[in-house]
Amino acid sequence: MAPSTQKHAKQAPLQLPGGFTVVPVQFSQSSTAQHYLYVKEHRVRAEGSSSRPLDRTLFVLNVPPYCSEQCVSALFSDCGAVESVELRERPGPQEHTEPELSQYFRTPRREGFSVAYVVFKKASSVAAAKKLSPATPLVLSTEQQPIRTGIQKWADQYSAALVDTRQLQAAVDAYMLEHDRRKEEAAQREAEAEGADGEGWVKVSRRGHTASRPHSEPANHRALEREKRKRARKELMNFYTWQHRETQREHIAELRRKFEEDKQRIAVLRAQRKFRPY
Amino acid sequence: MKLQKKTKKTKKKEPAVLRPQEAAAVSDPSVSDDGREDEQVVGGASVKRSRPQVEVLEDGVLRPVKLSRGELYKPPTTEELNTLRETESLFHCSLLKMQMEELLKEVVLSERRRRLIDTFVQEVTELLQDVPHTPDTELCDQSWLPKGVKVPFLQVPNIVKGRFHMAPPASVSLVGSYPLGTCTKPHVTVDLAVTMPAEILYPGDALNQRYPRKRALYLAGLAHHLAPQPAIGSLRFSCLHGNRLRPVLLLTPPGKDSSNVTLRLLPCPPPGFFKPTRFHPQRNNIRSRWYTGLSTEDADFKEPPTPHYNSSLLGDLLPLPHLNFLSATAAHCPAFTASVALLKVWLRQRELDQGYGGFSGFLGSMLVAYLLSTHKINNMMSAYQVLRNILHFLASTDLTENGISLSKDSDPAAPSLPEFHSAFQVVFVDPSGHLNLCADMTASTYKQVQQEASLSLQFWDDPTLDGFQVLLMTPKPLIRSYDHVFQLCGLVKLQSTSKKLGLLSELMDHSGNYVLTVLPYLLSLLQRGLGARVHLLTHTLPPTPQWAVNSDPPKHKDQPPLSFGLLLNPEFSATVLERGPPADSPQAEAFRQLWGGRAELRRFQDGEICEAVLWGGKTACEKRLVPREIITHLLELHADIPESCVRYTGGLLDEVIKVRRESCSTGEEDSLQVVQSYDDLSRKLWRLEGLPLSVTSVQGAHPALRYTQVFPPVPFKAEYKCFGKVKKSGFLGLYLLLPLTEKPCPVYITPIKVVCHMEGSGKWPQERMAIRHIKAAFHLRVAELLKKEHNLVCQPSPTHLDVYKDGLVFRVQVAYHREPQILRETISPEGMLCYRDNPEAQRLEWETLHRTYLTSTLHGLQQQHPSFGAVCRLAKRWVGAQLLSGELGDDAVDLLVASLFLQPAPHTSPCSPQVGFLRFLHLLSSYDWKNSPLIVNLNGDLTGADYTEIKNDFVAARSSLPVMFIATPKDKKMSVWTKEGPSVQILQRAIVVAAESLQVLETQLMDPMQQQDFKVAFRPPLDLYDVLIHLNPKQVPLHSQAVDPPRFTYSRGALHNPSLSCKSLPVIDFNPVDRYLAELRAAFGDLALFFCDPYGGLVITVLWKPQAFKPQPFKTAQMNARRVEVIGDEVHTLPNVEAILEDFRVMGAGLVTEVEPRTEKWVI
Repeated sequence: MAPSTQKHAKQAPLQLPGGFTVVPVQFSQSSTAQHYLYVKEHRVRAEGSSSRPLDRTLFVLNVPPYCSEQCVSALFSDCGAVESVELRERPGPQEHTEPELSQYFRTPRREGFSVAYVVFKKASSVAAAKKLSPATPLVLSTEQQPIRTGIQKWADQYSAALVDTRQLQAAVDAYMLEHDRRKEEAAQREAEAEGADGEGWVKVSRRGHTASRPHSEPANHRALEREKRKRARKELMNFYTWQHRETQREHIAELRRKFEEDKQRIAVLRAQRKFRPY
Repeated sequence: MKLQKKTKKTKKKEPAVLRPQEAAAVSDPSVSDDGREDEQVVGGASVKRSRPQVEVLEDGVLRPVKLSRGELYKPPTTEELNTLRETESLFHCSLLKMQMEELLKEVVLSERRRRLIDTFVQEVTELLQDVPHTPDTELCDQSWLPKGVKVPFLQVPNIVKGRFHMAPPASVSLVGSYPLGTCTKPHVTVDLAVTMPAEILYPGDALNQRYPRKRALYLAGLAHHLAPQPAIGSLRFSCLHGNRLRPVLLLTPPGKDSSNVTLRLLPCPPPGFFKPTRFHPQRNNIRSRWYTGLSTEDADFKEPPTPHYNSSLLGDLLPLPHLNFLSATAAHCPAFTASVALLKVWLRQRELDQGYGGFSGFLGSMLVAYLLSTHKINNMMSAYQVLRNILHFLASTDLTENGISLSKDSDPAAPSLPEFHSAFQVVFVDPSGHLNLCADMTASTYKQVQQEASLSLQFWDDPTLDGFQVLLMTPKPLIRSYDHVFQLCGLVKLQSTSKKLGLLSELMDHSGNYVLTVLPYLLSLLQRGLGARVHLLTHTLPPTPQWAVNSDPPKHKDQPPLSFGLLLNPEFSATVLERGPPADSPQAEAFRQLWGGRAELRRFQDGEICEAVLWGGKTACEKRLVPREIITHLLELHADIPESCVRYTGGLLDEVIKVRRESCSTGEEDSLQVVQSYDDLSRKLWRLEGLPLSVTSVQGAHPALRYTQVFPPVPFKAEYKCFGKVKKSGFLGLYLLLPLTEKPCPVYITPIKVVCHMEGSGKWPQERMAIRHIKAAFHLRVAELLKKEHNLVCQPSPTHLDVYKDGLVFRVQVAYHREPQILRETISPEGMLCYRDNPEAQRLEWETLHRTYLTSTLHGLQQQHPSFGAVCRLAKRWVGAQLLSGELGDDAVDLLVASLFLQPAPHTSPCSPQVGFLRFLHLLSSYDWKNSPLIVNLNGDLTGADYTEIKNDFVAARSSLPVMFIATPKDKKMSVWTKEGPSVQILQRAIVVAAESLQVLETQLMDPMQQQDFKVAFRPPLDLYDVLIHLNPKQVPLHSQAVDPPRFTYSRGALHNPSLSCKSLPVIDFNPVDRYLAELRAAFGDLALFFCDPYGGLVITVLWKPQAFKPQPFKTAQMNARRVEVIGDEVHTLPNVEAILEDFRVMGAGLVTEVEPRTEKWVI
């Protein structure tokens, strides 16, 4: 391993751009190589959401692929009690999660290196985490909380992926019920808007009778095409002398264009020495 | 430092073809060249015109031509108009004309070389004038010859009467192609006729090889005289067109010019020395008493005719008259030389012009002269038209039946055409009327010429094909053109064959060359035996030997093996039963005689009792080799050639796709079983009652359903003790098996994808999430119904439904035809409904639309071409073994192979897996991927106009399209199959590896001397990778499919007893290697490429990406698996290689045995 890293690891915390500090981690006690987590306090002004409180959230870069939320939580528990951990593929604002989706329909997280937002119970823990000693690496897979990887993990994944049909049916039914309800509500709102209000006024909307203009792109396109065809039908071809001349000119131009194209092709082939038969 | 070195190395790996900068460097000189040519063509106006070309050529990529309005519409000159008109009316397009011109430029001799030849000829002529006289001796007494030179003639029998001495030649003159101007590169040979002085010959010398021997002695004398001269580079003996009666002396100039030209000295008698009537094909010029040494007492004994001997001698008399005749013809026809040159290129690409009995360039010139004399072509035609007419003539005229003659005056002494036909197989009489120019040609060779000509015409007329490439630029070696190839080794055995066939007089005629004597008889024997099984049986021409002047001429037995090629007729070639004539018919005797002990009487279904032969073979792979059984049987029975001498290469490559190594099957039967089971399932799905919507289509979307799965799924029964078990709640109530980590990884079971479209209806929701839920509900419902009505084991999931049926697992996926459209919907700010393409929609369309279409079309293709599946599987096995299958997808390979069948030009559709595979390698390695789309005309749905459209679109959008572009009727613009890969580098690697594999395979298959290990082509070189991850065979479920099968295998919980019924769902689609690879790619895809053989590979190879290893500034978004390094004041990040290697081990715990870094390559 490059000695320079070792050197700066022993020095006082290295100042990285953006105020990150380095926290080495290794997979197990017996590991010889370390990954480096880069941590800093979470500080995005635009974001004021409740799940990432500005003072208590630690932002962690380069979390290895085998680390789960529990694992990250255990890793930083030395610095103070952890309230929640959010693992993300790349840093960014919080996604609008769809809470109504059941486990069967959520898109799975891509397995790779991730970033973590660790929310502590106390604000002081963030500072503690930033002061973690770079000399002694943290251990990810401990006796108490072993990380399952490889064959074991895949076997677990396989059995977890087997669906319980009854639960799946229930999830589908629940969602569809909700979906129907939403649709009904929307229809009702629509109908209310259309119908006469309390004073007898009727709101005239585009949904009433035949559409005045196309509302989708293909329909729009079709209408334009129709117009064009109509115009083309009226035109006379090769009627006037100038039209005839024009056609002839076009023909020669076409021949020329083809000639040029072929010449270019030949030139390219010749450049690649494609004319040696053997 | 070291890293830099490494990046350099990777650069070196990619040759110029696809690298823009280097291609530009190559093209530079031609830019100026082109400008010059331009001026010639259109005169003064060209200066402006050449501008677009300069832009275009910078990177060797075709771009749409942009011409300004002024250039396009300016008034044309008359000259230009004429050029444009001519190209339009005479050629398909001007491209062809220009291509031919370019080709001719490549093959004609340059001025410099002509000067070189002229001076060399001059020197040799002068040297020949002072050949010293030697004392007159007996012909047999060759003691006057010095030690350094041997007589270039096999003198059997040794004793012959006559006297000989050396003397300077009477005259020396140029003959043949060089003075005629039809001499072409490469291997420029210039013929020099050396007329022997009349004083050393006697008119009676035509008898008993006296003249040929004098000729050989004279040549030896010349060689002795020329050898010490400084003006001569090297001296070798050879013989004219492989004819051992006509030895020649090959001279090359000294120094570096030696490879430029070869001078051939042909001794010949003075003009008119022998009377041509002596050499009538029915006269005898070799007395059997002299030849055999036995005197016959029989008074009525008639000496047999010696037509081949006669024509050899006659040929020596005529080179000058022939030259005069051809020069006179060429003088009137301006395109004569160009058309002969084109014809020579055409012949050479088909390996027809070299060797004994070939269709030489001289014959080509004579043919042009014949067509001119019969007004089939006229003097004003262009070379292009002449070539077309020649091919048309060859295709439509059978010279084996109706010979042609150039002789005008009917000389009563000259033999008639029927007389020629009785002596020779192919007849084309020269202008003198005495010589058959095709005397040595076998009927098979002529049939091959005919077949090639008619094929070529067919390709030429096809507007979708590049005729020029196909006809003149693509070589057609035997091994790649013919479905099955076999070789006769140990030609010594043919000696006994000639005895067995009773060919003594023919042997005398061929002066003891038993190989040439026997060849026509073997060919007709095999042709009779193979009958309708083959379209064409052909052989390579026995090559012309060359030997040093100080060594004896090679013996007949030292000839290289004879190769034969079979063009199979797929309809009959694999038939096991050969039905002969009825038992009581007169032909039955001939049938029995032909097949010997194998013929037997059989009663057929129509009640008739016929002679028949039954060949062995149960599986498709054995049946494909029936021709081999026939050939070995016939050769052994009739020609005394033992099986060990026949080296048959038809199914050697089958080994790597054999399903179960012990049984002799290459999986066709398994595929059929899968398809039958699928058909049954699809019927059941159609008939399901109680679904809210009806099923509109059930389509397969898996290679196994089009016979192209490398190792087709085999029925599986679980051995319970190898699995864990779990029962999930639900209406199905069955046990689901689970993999156990402490046992070897269970058998891998491929889920066979089936797409089931439901009818479109207003009941479908119009929102993407809701559609997904409804589909899940359908899966549940179908599972319930299948369980209830057919008692099938099913396991639904949100995205699919697994059905365990007949030991196979089908993965049914319900689809709604409007779903991709709904995924594309977006509402624009103005409230208009727009459709915007996105990857999710494309993915879905690819799965439910394109794949099903491809599967059904290729299934149809398999029905037409029975070997299609096997070729695909060989190709995919190779791609997998070369670790490329991650990038070059299964479907793309299937399409590449399909193109070989749909557009086989210049060959015919392959009928054996081996030849198909070789052509696949050739296609992959030689196709111009950069500048042309590969158009696969599935179902023949594309017309000529579509082709042009696809090509134009391709050129217009080249830079944004995939590197490997494959267009199909349903996908003209996107190339959906190669979108994800291969990348430029991987394609380049594939091209290199394919070229290498092709070369190795072809030499191994054609060279009987070499050790047979064609699996070399299936073993990838591992030295260029940075890290190797070795896997534990115990956890690799497909380990037994490896190219080199393992010696022992693990028990993976499969029972081969089909009687047991299994009511538990097996472990489906569980392959630790795949999962490991997916994890690796997800985690380290930015840093490295991972390669693995999906069919039982035990090693994953890793290649670092050079750009990821450059120091980068610290960026929050790009810190994955990197560490920080401070250089000076700046903070840089580099990949944390040690930790990554550790991660390889950690993530593959239980699967990985060793991570082997090639340290010298990556340490920073």
